[in-house]
Amino acid sequence: MRLYDIVILLTPDLSDEEAVKLSAEHRKLLTDGGAQLVKEESWGKRKLAYPIARKREAYYHLFQVSALPGAVAEVERKLRLSDQVLRHLAVRADEELKRSAKSAERIKAKAAKRPPRPAPPPAPAPPEASVEERTEP
Amino acid sequence: MTAMFGRSGGHGASRDREGKTAGRKKFFVRRRKVCKFCAEKIEYVDWKDVKLLASFIPERGKILPRRISGTCALHQRKLQTAIKRARSIALLPYATD
Repeated sequence: MRLYDIVILLTPDLSDEEAVKLSAEHRKLLTDGGAQLVKEESWGKRKLAYPIARKREAYYHLFQVSALPGAVAEVERKLRLSDQVLRHLAVRADEELKRSAKSAERIKAKAAKRPPRPAPPPAPAPPEASVEERTEP
Repeated sequence: MTAMFGRSGGHGASRDREGKTAGRKKFFVRRRKVCKFCAEKIEYVDWKDVKLLASFIPERGKILPRRISGTCALHQRKLQTAIKRARSIALLPYATD
């Protein structure tokens, strides 16, 4: 099983309820294909950075899914066919997460190996009163 | 132990003196650039984190070069793919005018 991030963009022509319904349909599509839902987020209607199919905004919906590659490929094919889905992006996340964790560990190990930085010398600030006392006599 | 002390002591002292005099002068004080991801220990550069990525996108929509942002090579590479992914789903612009 691999971890995937899948973001879909739904047309803004849908009402909020319709968008929720449609994303539920996509969730069903994923789970029916043997994927396990890890996380789901609805980002709501967002402005697009550039127009897609003459639309200036879209409903964003994120699925984080643990699935076999075949299952995701199948869902992607269906997403591409759908007219309501302006665009989608499915990215494998587990490899990068693992690599990031590894490099984080390496950095930590390196930091541990390096001797700790010497503390800055305390500012020499003798109490003024005593100095005056010494200079007076 | 003694050798180490001598080396670090000698260097440290001279550098300190220099640092103090240089610090007083107002010119040539350039802030050292630090990789944001290293400093904040962000290991995974998430392409869904628009707020973070947008801070590396100047007005024009281009990716901020390393020489300006100070990002380290590793994280600039990760940032690059993250920005490109975010662009493909219109979270970030390819170009703006």
